[in-house]
Amino acid sequence: MTEPSEPLDRLEPLDQPQPAVGEPSAPPAEPAVAGATAPGRAAATAGEAPADAVLVPLEAIAPAIRQASLSRRAFLGFGLALAGGVAGAAVLGQLFPVFASAGDQVSPLVPNYDPATKAWTFVVDTSKCIGCGLCVVACKEENHVPESAAFTRTWVERHVTMTDGTVYVDSPDAGINGFPPTSTAPGAGGKTVKSAYFQPRLCMQCADSPCTSVCPVSATYTTQDGIVLVDARRCIGCGYCVVACPYGARYITPAGEDTPAGTPGVADKCTWCYQRISKGQQPACVEICPVGARRFGNANDPNDDIRTAALAAGARPLHPEYGTQPRALYLGPALQES
Amino acid sequence: MQVVDSTLHVGRLALPASPRAIRAALAREVSAMPLATRVWYALLLAGLAIGAVTAILALPPGWEVMGTSPSIEWGMLIVGYVFFAIMTSGLCLASSLGTVFGIERFLPLEKRHAILAILSLSTAFGVIALELQYPVRMVFGAVLVISPSSPMWWMGVFYGGYLVVLIVEVWTLFTNHPVIHKYACTGAAMIGIAAPTTLGAVFGMVAAKPLWAGVFTPILMVASAFVGGVSLLGIVFWAVSRFRLADWGRSGVALGSVRLLLAGGLLVVAALLARQVADGLTSDVAGFRPSTLAMVAGPLAPAFWGLRVAAGLVAPLAILALPRLRTVGFTGLASGLALLGIFVDRSLFVVAGEFVPRTTMAGTVAYPYVAYTPSLVEIGILVGAASFMAMAYSLCERYLPMGEGDVHLFWPWPWLRHHEHGEEADAGGGAPEAPAAAESGLAPAAAAEAVP
Repeated sequence: MTEPSEPLDRLEPLDQPQPAVGEPSAPPAEPAVAGATAPGRAAATAGEAPADAVLVPLEAIAPAIRQASLSRRAFLGFGLALAGGVAGAAVLGQLFPVFASAGDQVSPLVPNYDPATKAWTFVVDTSKCIGCGLCVVACKEENHVPESAAFTRTWVERHVTMTDGTVYVDSPDAGINGFPPTSTAPGAGGKTVKSAYFQPRLCMQCADSPCTSVCPVSATYTTQDGIVLVDARRCIGCGYCVVACPYGARYITPAGEDTPAGTPGVADKCTWCYQRISKGQQPACVEICPVGARRFGNANDPNDDIRTAALAAGARPLHPEYGTQPRALYLGPALQES
Repeated sequence: MQVVDSTLHVGRLALPASPRAIRAALAREVSAMPLATRVWYALLLAGLAIGAVTAILALPPGWEVMGTSPSIEWGMLIVGYVFFAIMTSGLCLASSLGTVFGIERFLPLEKRHAILAILSLSTAFGVIALELQYPVRMVFGAVLVISPSSPMWWMGVFYGGYLVVLIVEVWTLFTNHPVIHKYACTGAAMIGIAAPTTLGAVFGMVAAKPLWAGVFTPILMVASAFVGGVSLLGIVFWAVSRFRLADWGRSGVALGSVRLLLAGGLLVVAALLARQVADGLTSDVAGFRPSTLAMVAGPLAPAFWGLRVAAGLVAPLAILALPRLRTVGFTGLASGLALLGIFVDRSLFVVAGEFVPRTTMAGTVAYPYVAYTPSLVEIGILVGAASFMAMAYSLCERYLPMGEGDVHLFWPWPWLRHHEHGEEADAGGGAPEAPAAAESGLAPAAAAEAVP
């Protein structure tokens, strides 16, 4: 391998034949740039000097720079080409709504809805949830979420603590069909259960949301009332927001008739049913919950139940150490574990 | 430009201009090739065909042809993109020592590096276009919607600008515009640092994946880029020497430079990798230790210790360190192993970061590890990408004047002025290859090997 044998292919170089080692290499056909070498060096460069030694001294730079018309023209050419490209893209942006200007109403706002007066807050009481899975069903129907459990906007987990202190989490089919009597988590079988609770999960609508800040095309944005939404017309499907969400609330939509917004391959997530709450309704999961484990309201309203009851009870976010300032808060045993 | 007898004459070039003429020209080319060259091109064409079929399958958005899931959203295509993109930067960083800083022993790296860098970046763009669901939106969206908070947006800015600068660099290299070339080389070297840094920041800013997060990720990315680019140069110059390609007499100098750079780069990468593992094993950040354990003592351990550490770090370093192995062939082998190590390194980095989820992902509990097997489509696209790059480069070697241009202008670095005044005779006379090869650290046997 180290001993060169007959070459596989003798490619004919277009320039001079190759010199053997030890022989001076062939001179260049012409000097680099006539004005780029100092007068004293020009002859050497054009004549006997091999090319790999064309080290140009400081004083030789000056005449080269004086050939500024070349570089300036090239510079202007590139500048014009770049400007033309940007202008062309701007025209395309106007022609195609996909790249509508940021001033467009990209959120599904409804007439007479004033987002500035709202501070939407979601509170989940894990001491009340019974794991029936109705919230998952209601969400999938309301928001056309794919039926597969792998693509879910809201789901229910079961956290089981054994007598030896280990905690097992399972969520068979995202909890849409409820839960079997024993945990399906690997390794949980045969152990004695000490305590257990159900933990409904959804987008936390973080005030400092990583998914918003990492989006390279600003397809993910935060509305004035604090809801994080995805503009499916802008999303490129890179998945950055999916890996950046510490709460695992996002997925890329698969192809299919039930794809949210009718667009496959874009990021999707829980919106707290923005199409409903902006019309004065409750999110679908809140409305269907038979035990009142999910509560939703406007924290700006001093008479709202969310403020008088849920927040007053000490609701707090899960994993505040992530530093994303979630607007979804929790009550009950989930807080102790978090 | 004129057409005479189905032949298009452009300057000195005579190109076939009708289907029949193209067929005849192709037949002439193929019949003139030795058997081994035909086999080489046939293999690359087969790889390209695999890549084309799998790329078509991956084009429609939302088609479930990848092995990824919400739990492991970034898979082998992201690995492929990172691999080819950082290799571009490494090529520029290595060659900048000659083209920007004027250090003679690194000058022979220039022309091939520039061609390889453009091809590598184009390949990276091709792979990421297939990974993205809507790549066209990315092109326009990144221009029209400025998102400075996103590292990915900055990455697009730098790598987009990178392609422009590299095109200028290659154009000026082949058309003899040294002034513009100097600026292009300098620009490419600067972006060669900025681009992989932002690519590292794409991962480094993801606090949800503790293995990725941190300030050392961009540094590791730049170091990996350097090793990737240098090892690719090592493989190419081994081939240049082995198959007597254009200007092969200088490959001894180039390989000597590669040995030096590769040894330094591997040591830095080894140190950064050791730091990453030590940090992970002692960290109390949720999910960091399990991810690191999965890599060094879990399901990913065979790839980590066998391919990453033994084959990708220890073996090439040993080859580079042993004086008896300072030959062209072993330098090529060390480069190949180092490049394999970088690919495995980036694969492990991307996968291990998502392998132990800290939370339920979109309703799926993955315990203890996420199931991920790259689909045939993902593998096929990577095969196609590598074949594209190899094919395009092989064609460049065959049809472009790949001998080094030696047309350089440099910034007035102090050492060049000293060199100019102190060693004018050498600089003017041009050091022939043999002394340079000896100076480069190649053993006499290796230097002799470069001369049949």
